[in-house]
This record gives sequence, C-alpha cells and structure tokens, in this order.
Amino acid sequence: MTKSISRRSFLKISGATTVGLSVAATLPDKFLLWAEEQGMVKPTYTATLCEICFWKCGVMAKSLNGRVVKLEGNPNHPGARGRLCARGNGGTGLLYDPDRLRSPMIRTGARGDGQYRKASWDEALNLVAEKLAAIKKQHGPESVALFTHGTPTDHFLPLLSAFGSPNVGMPSFAQCRGPRDVGLELTFGETIGSPERLDMANSKVIVLLGSHLGENMHNSQVQDFTEAIGKGAKFIVVDPRFSIAAGKAAHWLPIRPATDMALVLTWINVIIAEGLYDRDYIGRYAEGFAELAKAVEKYTPEWAEKETDIPAAQILETARLMGKNAPSVCIHPGRHATWYGDDVQRTRSLGILMALLGSWGRPGGAFFATNASFPKMEAKPFPESRETLNGGGFPFAGAEGVTQAIRSSTIDGKPYPIKAWIVTGTNLMKSIPNQKETLEAINKLDFLVAVDVMPFDTVMLADVILPECSYLERHDALAVGKGKSLTVSLRQPVIEPRYESKPGWWIAKELGTRLGLAEYFPWKTYEDKIKSQCQHWGVDYEQLKKLGTITIADTAAPFITASNPPVFKTKSGKIELYSGELKEKGFDPVPQYTQHQRPKGGEFRLIYGRHAVHTFSRTTNNPELHELCPENVVWVNAGIAKEMGLADGNYVTLVNQDGARSNPIKAKVTERIREDCVYMIHGFGTKSKALKKAFQKGADDQGLVTRYAVDPICGGTGMRVNFVRINKEFIDA
Amino acid sequence: MPKYAMVIDQRRCVACMACVVACKKENEVPPEQFRTRVVESTEGTYPLLRMELRSELCNHCDNPPCVYNCPTGASYKRKEDGLVLLRKNRCVGCKSCLAACPYDARYINEEKGYADKCTFCEHRIKEGKEPACVATCIGKSRIFGDLDDPRSNVSRALRENHHEVLLESAGTKPRVYYVKKFSKPE
Amino acid sequence: MELTITGANAMTSPHLHVWDWRVSLYLFLGGLSAGLAIMTSILHVRKGGKLAEGDRAAITAPIYVPVILTIGMLFIFMDLERKLNVFWFYLTVQPLSPMSWGSWGLLVFYPVSILFALATLPAPNRRYLLIPALIRWSEKLQRFKLQLAALNFGMGIFIGVYTGVLLSSFVARPLWNSAILPVLFLTSAMSAGAAFMIMIAQQKKAKLFFTKVDIWLVLAEMVMLPLFFYGQYTSSGAHRESIMPFFTFNHDYFWYGIGMLLLLIVLPIALVMKYLEVHEDHGEELTPVALMKMNVSALMVLAGGLIIRLSFVYAGQLSHLS
Ligand SMILES: Nc1nc2c(c(=O)[nH]1)N[C@H]1C(S)=C(S)[C@@H](COP(=O)(O)OP(=O)(O)OC[C@H]3O[C@@H](n4cnc5c(=O)[nH]c(N)nc54)[C@H](O)[C@@H]3O)O[C@H]1N2
Ligand SMILES: Nc1nc2c(c(=O)[nH]1)N[C@H]1C(S)=C(S)[C@@H](COP(=O)(O)OP(=O)(O)OC[C@H]3O[C@@H](n4cnc5c(=O)[nH]c(N)nc54)[C@H](O)[C@@H]3O)O[C@H]1N2
Ligand code: SF4
Ligand code: SF4
Ligand code: SF4
Ligand code: SF4
Ligand code: SF4
Ligand SMILES: [Mo]
Repeated sequence: MTKSISRRSFLKISGATTVGLSVAATLPDKFLLWAEEQGMVKPTYTATLCEICFWKCGVMAKSLNGRVVKLEGNPNHPGARGRLCARGNGGTGLLYDPDRLRSPMIRTGARGDGQYRKASWDEALNLVAEKLAAIKKQHGPESVALFTHGTPTDHFLPLLSAFGSPNVGMPSFAQCRGPRDVGLELTFGETIGSPERLDMANSKVIVLLGSHLGENMHNSQVQDFTEAIGKGAKFIVVDPRFSIAAGKAAHWLPIRPATDMALVLTWINVIIAEGLYDRDYIGRYAEGFAELAKAVEKYTPEWAEKETDIPAAQILETARLMGKNAPSVCIHPGRHATWYGDDVQRTRSLGILMALLGSWGRPGGAFFATNASFPKMEAKPFPESRETLNGGGFPFAGAEGVTQAIRSSTIDGKPYPIKAWIVTGTNLMKSIPNQKETLEAINKLDFLVAVDVMPFDTVMLADVILPECSYLERHDALAVGKGKSLTVSLRQPVIEPRYESKPGWWIAKELGTRLGLAEYFPWKTYEDKIKSQCQHWGVDYEQLKKLGTITIADTAAPFITASNPPVFKTKSGKIELYSGELKEKGFDPVPQYTQHQRPKGGEFRLIYGRHAVHTFSRTTNNPELHELCPENVVWVNAGIAKEMGLADGNYVTLVNQDGARSNPIKAKVTERIREDCVYMIHGFGTKSKALKKAFQKGADDQGLVTRYAVDPICGGTGMRVNFVRINKEFIDA
Repeated sequence: MPKYAMVIDQRRCVACMACVVACKKENEVPPEQFRTRVVESTEGTYPLLRMELRSELCNHCDNPPCVYNCPTGASYKRKEDGLVLLRKNRCVGCKSCLAACPYDARYINEEKGYADKCTFCEHRIKEGKEPACVATCIGKSRIFGDLDDPRSNVSRALRENHHEVLLESAGTKPRVYYVKKFSKPE
Repeated sequence: MELTITGANAMTSPHLHVWDWRVSLYLFLGGLSAGLAIMTSILHVRKGGKLAEGDRAAITAPIYVPVILTIGMLFIFMDLERKLNVFWFYLTVQPLSPMSWGSWGLLVFYPVSILFALATLPAPNRRYLLIPALIRWSEKLQRFKLQLAALNFGMGIFIGVYTGVLLSSFVARPLWNSAILPVLFLTSAMSAGAAFMIMIAQQKKAKLFFTKVDIWLVLAEMVMLPLFFYGQYTSSGAHRESIMPFFTFNHDYFWYGIGMLLLLIVLPIALVMKYLEVHEDHGEELTPVALMKMNVSALMVLAGGLIIRLSFVYAGQLSHLS
C-alpha cells in the first residue's frame, strides 16, 4: 500500500493500490479518467468482508485508480456465495459518504447540541485516557462500561477487560437474539448460531413466524430460502402482515399479534394427538414427552382460533402439513426475538416443535456446526474484576450482556456506579427501548466516548468522538465461521483510511498504551497479529489474502447418522421438552400461553421490521441506499384508513399510550396488514443534523417504544407492547 | 452467433434490490437514475391477497421501437448477438427513444446527456462474466444466456416453464422472458 | 392493486416527461410555417396569380415561411441534450425514424421556401437583396415560380404531416399512436397558415379568400377532433385511457380540461365569426372594426393550433400501454 493522495481528490484518484498505479496517480485526473474510460486501467480486486450487517459476507472489492468502484460477492465465502445483497452492493456509499466523521472531535457545547471542535488524535486519545484513568482511580475500573456491536467488539472488549471492567452490553442479546438463543439452549443444549444453521434449501416445508426473509436480508439465508422456492417447498408464514415471504406462502396465517405461542402450542398438541411426531427420534433423544403432552392438551384448534384469529381448520391443516413432511421441515426459530417478554418460552415452543418433527440434526431441518476448531493462542490473562452487571439479575442472561441493566445501574448507581461509557458500533438511542431512560443515563455520566464511522444520534451525545475508518479501509479480527465446515475469513483494507479516520484496532491499542495496558497489545500492526494467528492455525496467510476465505476440508458433520450421534449439552444430555432447569428457577418447565394486552378502540399495536435495502439506522444516510428508500412509511389497513378518511401518501403522526409523538410519517394504505396493528421500518427519523440525507426523514419506531416487557428468564426487552393512535397531519405529500 | 436473452423467474424474486444497486455501481449510473427496477404489486383484499414481484430492464427487443425512432442511428440493434446498444458519441439527446420505448427502459444520463439504458452488461459478457444484476441476484431469479444454445440456462428455463413477455401486444418481441408459474400443475 | 416501484426514473415515471413546451412550440411553428407555405403557394397560383397582385403578403408570406421555421427549429434545438452532436442528423438516414426524415425534409424545405421567396419577389423589391448574385437568382427563378409553388406546396404538406407523424409513430404512447393525428395536425397547420395569411394580407379579396379557405379547414378540424377522440375511445383500453385527461375534471388533469374547454369555445366562435365575415357586405374597403374582427378570429385559430400542440404533447406523455 502506498500513501494515499485521497485528500486531494478522493473521487477520482485516491490511494492507489499498486506501485505502478501510484505513479499513474500523480498524473492529472483528467488523463486518468480518460484512460479509465478507454479501459486502459485494469481494475484490481481485493478480498475482504462486508460489515453493513453482521452476516459478514465475503467481498471482492474492485478498485480503479485507488477508487473503490464496486463490491462483488466472494464466491469462496459461504455467506456470500458470490453474491451481495443490496446493502452490501451499496457499501461504497458508506466509504464515500460526505457526512462521515473525519477527525477526532471534542465537545464544546452542551450535551446534545452538536457543538464540537476538531482535535488531533493525540489530544483526543490523551483526553480519553486521562478521563478513564481518573474514573478508574475514583470509582474502580468496573464503573466504565462498553456498549458495542459488530467487529469493533474484537478490539474494544479486550481493551475493557484489560482495563478491568466486566461490564459490556450488546444490543444483539437483550434486543435481538437473546431469548431465542436461551430458549434453544434450554431445549437442545446449544443455540442455532449466527448464521443460523438451517438447512432450508432442502426443506419440504418451511415455517416462518415473523421472520420476514427477503426483507430480513441475511444473504445466504435468503439464497437458501429462494432455493427452497425453486425446489417447490411449501411455506407456512405466520405474520400479521402480508410480507414478501407471505407472498410466496402456501399458507399465510395473519395472526393476531402477540398470540404466536397459542398457535405453536396448539400445533404441538395436534401433532402429538394425531401421532404425527417422530416417535423414534423422541424416544431416543428427548425427555419429558409425557409432561409435554399433558401440558398442551388444553390447546385445541378451536381455542386457538379465538386467541389467534386463525381458523381452526387452517391450524389443523398446517400442523398436518408439517407432520406429513417431517423431518424435512424447517421451523425458523426467529432472530429478532424480543417481542412480548415471554420470548424465551415462545422460542422454546418452537424448539419443541422442531424436536417433535425430528428436524434438529436432520436434512431439511437444522444442521450441526462443525466440531473442528482452531487451536487456542496463548495470551496474557485479563485481570480479575468485580461481579458483572451484565446479567442484570436474570438467571439465564448471556455473555453479550443485558444493555438496559447497565443503563439502569448508570441511572441509580446500584449495585455500584457506572461513570463512563465507551460506545462503538451501536446507535443506542435507536437500538434500545425507552430513549428517555437512555438519555437520563447518559446525562448522569462523567464521560462518554464514541468510536464510530458516522455521526449518528448516539455519537452526537458523546464528549469525545473518535472516527473509525470504514470496513473497507481496515484490518479486523479473523472471522472464524462454524457453519457446516470450519472457515476462516479475512477483512483487509481495500484503500487507506480516508480523512483522519483510523482502524478500531489502532484506536484500541493507542488507548491501551495510554492507559498502561500496552502488554495486551503485543503486536505492532493488526496484520502482524493476524499473520501470527494464521501461522499458529496452519493457515496460509498469503492464500487467505488472495482468496478472502479458506474452508478447512473435512470438517463437516451436519446431520445425525449412525457414526455421528447428536450431542445435547443440556443437563440431562437429552432434548428437554420439559425443562427441569426452568422449573428450578420458578418458570414454566413446559411453555404455557398467557394472553397479552390488546389495543383499545382507536389504538393500534406498533410493530416494526426491516427493509431490504437498510440495516437498522446505519444505512439511512448511505447515498447508494437512501435513494431507494429515503424514509419509512407506516402501514395502515385499508379498511381502517377508509374509516379514518386517510389516503395513501397522507402524512400522519403517531402518538403512543404514554403520549410520545412521532415525526410526521407517510401512510401506506394497504390490504397487506391486519386492522389491529400498524407497521413501520425500524431505524429512521434521525435527529442528528450532521446526517444531511437522513436528518428527520421518516419516523423513529424506538421513539414510540417507551414501554417494554422484560423477559424474566433472560432480560430480553419485548418491544411490541406499545399502542399508538393515528393523527392526520395536514401536510401535502 | 449467440442470441442473448434473460429469463426472470418471478417466483424466486424477493424484491431485495441487490440487482438495482449492483447495476448502478457496475455501470456508473448517476444518482437517482436506474437501468433496472423492481415492481412489487399486490392484488386482492385482506386476507385474500396475491403478490407479484417483477424486476424490469431493457428487453433488447427484436423489434425495437427505440431503434426505429432514433434519428441519428445512435441506438442500434447489434447483428451478432441481438443486443440493443447505444453509440454514445452519436446521440443528440432528442429523447425520441425514451418516448418510443413502451417499457420506459431508458433515461437521459444526467451527467453525460445521452439516452442511456441497460446494455445487458455487454462489457461483462465480453469477458465471459454474467451481467452484474444476474451475478448478484440473491434469488437466482435472473437467468442470462444464449437462446441458440439448447443447453444454456435460459433455453432450459424456457423449455421447462410457461413464460410470457411484457406487453406482448406491442409487437416489440422482447428478449426478456418472465416465468410466473410452474409448468407442471401441482 | 397496490404498486410499489423501486428504481424508477423520474423522467419516465410515473409517466413520461421528456418533452415540454419547447417541443410543442416546435411542432406549432413548424406546422405554421408549413401551413403558410401551402397558403403562399395557393396565393401565387390562384387565378393565375391575380389573387396575389398588389398585395404585400405576396412578398412577405414566402419570407415568413423560413423565418418561422427557423424560430421553430431553435426550440427543438433548445430541447436537445447534446447539442454539439446535431450534425449526426445529417450523417445518416434512418428510414424508420420520422425525426430523421423530418430533419432531412426540413433540409429540403428550407431551400425550396427560400427559392420560392426569391422567385416571388417582385422586380422593384429585388434591390433590397443587396447581393448581386441573389438579385440575379431572383430574376432567373421568376420563370420557375409555378414549379416552385408546387414544390413549396408539396413540402408544406410533407412538413405538416411530419409534425403529426413525429408523435403518431410511438406505439408506446396511445394518445399519439393514431393515424388521424398526422391528418389532424396537417389540417390544423393549414388552418393556422390561412389564419396567418389573413392577418398579413392587405387586400380584401385575399383576406376574404383565405377566410373562406379557413372556414373549411376549421370545419375539418372540428370534425376530426371528435373523430379522433371517438377512435381512441373505441380502440384498446390503453387508447381509451389516453384521452381521459381531457374529460376528467380533477386536480391532476386541470389544464387538460381547460385546454379542451378552450378548444370547444375558440374554434366554433372563430368559425362563426369567419362565416359572418364572409357574408357581411364589406363595401370597397374593410372597416377597422371588420379588420379587427378578422384578426381576432385569425388569432383564435392560431391559439387553437397552439393549444392542440401543447395539450397533445403533454397529454400524450401521460398515456402508456398496459
Ligand atoms: N435488510 C435487513 N436485513 C436484516 C437486518 C437489517 O437491519 N436489514 N437485521 C438483521 C438482524 S440483526 C435481525 S435480528 C433480523 C430481524 O429479522 P426477523 O428475525 O425476521 O425479525 P422479526 O421481528 O421476526 O420480523 C419482523 C416481522 O414480524 C412481523 N410481526 C410483528 N409482530 C408479530 C407477531 O406478533 N407475530 C408474528 N408472527 N409476526 C409479527 C412483522 O410484521 C414483520 O414482518 O434481520 C436481519 N436482517
Ligand atoms: N425499536 C427497535 N429497536 C431495535 C430493533 C428494532 O427492529 N426495532 N432491532 C434490534 C436488533 S435485532 C438489533 S441487532 C439492534 C441493532 O442495533 P445497532 O447495532 O445499534 O444498530 P444501528 O442502528 O445500525 O447502529 C449501528 C451504529 O454502528 C455504527 N457503525 C457502523 N459500522 C461501523 C464500524 O465499522 N465501526 C464502528 N465503530 N461503528 C460502526 C453506525 O454508524 C451506527 O452508529 O437493534 C435492536 N433494537
Ligand atoms: S447480508 Fe448484505 S449487508 Fe449483510 S454482510 Fe452480507 S452483503 Fe453485507
Ligand atoms: S425495451 Fe425499450 S429500450 Fe429496450 S430495446 Fe425494447 S424498446 Fe428499446
Ligand atoms: S436520444 Fe439519442 S439514442 Fe435516443 S433517439 Fe435521440 S439520438 Fe437516438
Ligand atoms: S444487464 Fe447490466 S445493465 Fe442491464 S440491468 Fe443488468 S446490470 Fe444493469
Ligand atoms: S436481485 Fe434478484 S431476487 Fe433480488 S430483487 Fe433483483 S431480481 Fe429479485
Ligand atoms: Mo438483530
């Protein structure tokens, strides 16, 4: 890599990737552009990994004259298979977003008013280190908490641990997969993983509850989904909204929101009652069948029809469809599972259904991760720390932490004070419910430092902002994949960091050094670290650089066979249809249905989801993606709209049960949703003025999620428990 | 002599827009302009609904009104392989071709002024690659190949499935075919 | 049906926006110059040239033809996105493109109309030509006046038809895609030419003659318009849809409704006025009031022609197949 000249003219000629090109790069822009058009400049391809979402697909980045012109899927990478989703294709929009954070910044005005001054890296890093050291001295290291999501975690979590704090929170647990992972672990002794280990491509029947594949655009998962369509699989899609997936379904069950468990438990009952379950499989691998059968007896289709609003006959028919096609039935356990506060139990009921159909460990169902792994490397052990707040007192909270528990401790100082937050890779204002509480906690802090690429809402609340370069400009930790086979993939820079941004590893190491923790960063560059790791693992680094991904041969054992018996890491060593562990902690050992509050007259349940071209809030300002979906709309049932005199495209505001009011948002008047709920895409309505495209575009669902139902088992925050009224706004569209 | 065509298997499309973005990046299409789009249409009333997803692009018509209406010969149908292409340096930007195309497949390139459109990624097929939208299509809904080769994916897809073209009655003889249903009754 | 389209171009979606008033004016002025060319040819040929005798219009009308055409061409030039490439129009012949044969046609029309103007220039006025060569040409051409008039007439018809074919050739735009359109445009061009002639003619006989001509042309126009709409209405669904802007009185189509109403008012009134003009006993000289009435009715016909071009250019872009 030669030094970039991108600061002069980034668009046309930035850091050139080869020596030959760097000479060329000194020639006038015009000539280079001309040469490019004549096809005289050959593009170079660099293998790396996408970070527009957490699927981390393999990318082949095409650059011309040091400008990244296109991103393509890496055929070697199992998550990409040579293809990228719209967001991955639009990754250069982040790289070249004019609103990117360009240099370190120090707050000069009041918190939240967006006044900052530029600072040098030295000044900013010194200030952060000084503040953290002072807080450590006064309150102990554990009073510094880290909120993180995505690859920055690989650099900042070690920094936090070395610093001596155990307090980390990732929205991926309590706002996302937490309940699902816990539910499946309690049932099978392990979770489904991310990427989910579903053998959808070979399923005959696929059952989706909520999971809105196609809009939820996890690359290879959607490829499998469409593969199944191509092979003629039947889909049962349970969703109050006629989603893209519902549009492909043999059975769309427009369920009354918050009643999924009633449906699943009834399915279970029917499958048991009609003997459609896999007797051999259950007999061999599961325990608690009798208790299960008894506990679900009461859930009849007639009863469920009243709860779920789905005709009893259709419940029966779909149960039989599953039974008939077992075990080649894929019950998707969901991913964003934090819906109503009883989400562990809902996922457990799905797990039980999988077990009854014998699809866990079977083709067309769920497959097993490879057993193989890379040898551990010696590293300096982290210091002992005080007990963590991560668990938030929930018996089954996971290591990713319960974000809102750290937030509570920050507010009330119990059991001990939290005085500083490091926030990286997560936009807390958007990702965790009840923004008032988040703001209250932030206002209590002595110090907030944000490491981010873009000036999103949370970043603009920080005392010091450290600009990380985008994923196309840096090395990150090797990504080890445990899907069917063991894989290792590399993220490496395609061009040099633009502006004064720096890779996360560099920021963490520099901070570590200033905090006297240099021994934890015993390498000079991250590439050195990766190289020695590769050596230790017996992976050819040069090969990895070229291919981007290496799959270790003969490491797959995906399905149950005579020579590959399943291992269940539960207490009993079996699939636990009845969970002793839950019983012990005072929870239902077999999931039981409880009715949730329903909307009152004039109210609608607020539900939300994904748009195929956006990832949460993080892509809303990306020029390549913004133009395809600049703002979200609120889906309102056509009949209701007619009653209200609401026309498609009218602006409305939504006001929730606590009086929280949304930005004006366009109504999508549609037959595609039930009457009792309204739907919007998550992530919009940015308040940060520094985002010129996204500022105030659309409405923020999180602003209306002032209430959340906490799952007592794991601490997940059910966020679909808010009700809104629709107010017409007299703004002309 | 290849006879290039595209088959769009609508069953497998999920309206993910990967094709839309990939096409723009591959072909340096200016902001807010597009060579391909995705139409999502729903018929019926709740809860009896039917959805159609359809990606659209230039049909590389065998009977191309855009070419017929071009006064300068900038738009032409290439004899060897049937692609409808543009000689950029000839185009005066009169927009006749935009008005002539029943599929609204063309636009005036805001940066360059010429009447741009999908080229079937001619520069990529020349290198033996698939068009960018096909290469990235998440649903493998877009299939590209040579109609003259009976073993090509497009030939097979057309053989095995009932297919239609858009606005057949316009008489444009499109080379983009749409598969909506299974050929075999289920 | 609920429709969401992602990746549509503003220029073609929700409907075509490629041509605006510039093209409308081009079509109108092109038509006017064509119509005027036809009328000047008639003026000079009628009664062995007697009609033209002593009227200044006999000199000015042929000159107006290339001048109006040039202004019209300026508007189409303004509409081109890549003006520097215009020469390509004349490096190729595209037999299926009306715009191509139109531009070649214009290339013929220009010299013909200029030659005709030279040929019809009376001897005493030739000195204004200043260049001796031109004066000589003018003298020589005198002999071919008739042939040139025929040519000029023919080219006028050609260009008049062309302004309509330009639009009617688009199968994609049902409002335009009608065989009546070129004839309608030609008629409208001729009536505009006659109206213009009425305004520039000085003598009563010429004015009244062209008023009579115009009556028939406006009448023809008034027959053709409903026929056109009837034809569209009874054709395919897309064709039927295409005329709706003129007959749907709502916010979106406001201007089309107004245009239609104006046509419904302007053309009949002009017709009645013309009828009265012809039947009125004018005496030796036209009174200022009679002159004004003639000019007003002529202006109304011109306005009608402009309204037709504007509304058809815009409304045609709202129409689409399927
Ligand atoms: N394009 C894109 N794809 C993404 C992401 C992204 O940001 N953008 N994020 C990724 C991440 S991290 C996650 S966690 C996943 C989340 O994606 P999923 O796991 O699919 O999320 P869900 O919340 O299950 O799905 C939302 C759907 O649930 C429906 N729904 C709402 N309430 C109910 C209910 O009570 N019952 C039922 N049955 N359905 C209901 C909504 O109508 C909507 O269709 O998406 C992943 N994929
Ligand atoms: N109301 C509501 N809340 C939700 C959800 C919902 O659907 N509705 N979804 C939940 C789910 S499933 C999840 S997984 C979470 C997601 O929550 P988050 O991960 O917090 O999601 P984003 O809003 O995308 O915020 C990402 C932040 O990371 C920054 N970023 C992006 N790339 C990089 C990088 O390379 N380095 C650094 N340092 N920063 C980077 C972005 O600029 C942005 O500030 O939200 C959860 N919260
Ligand atoms: S799924 Fe899309 S956004 Fe996510 S990593 Fe893969 S290509 Fe990138
Ligand atoms: S689709 Fe339109 S632009 Fe493409 S060849 Fe046919 S008429 Fe021409
Ligand atoms: S805009 Fe260009 S390509 Fe289109 S018709 Fe005119 S000259 Fe031909
Ligand atoms: S073939 Fe190429 S130009 Fe055409 S739509 Fe696909 S990517 Fe775009
Ligand atoms: S990439 Fe393929 S699946 Fe996705 S929208 Fe385009 S055609 Fe459909
Ligand atoms: Mo998530």
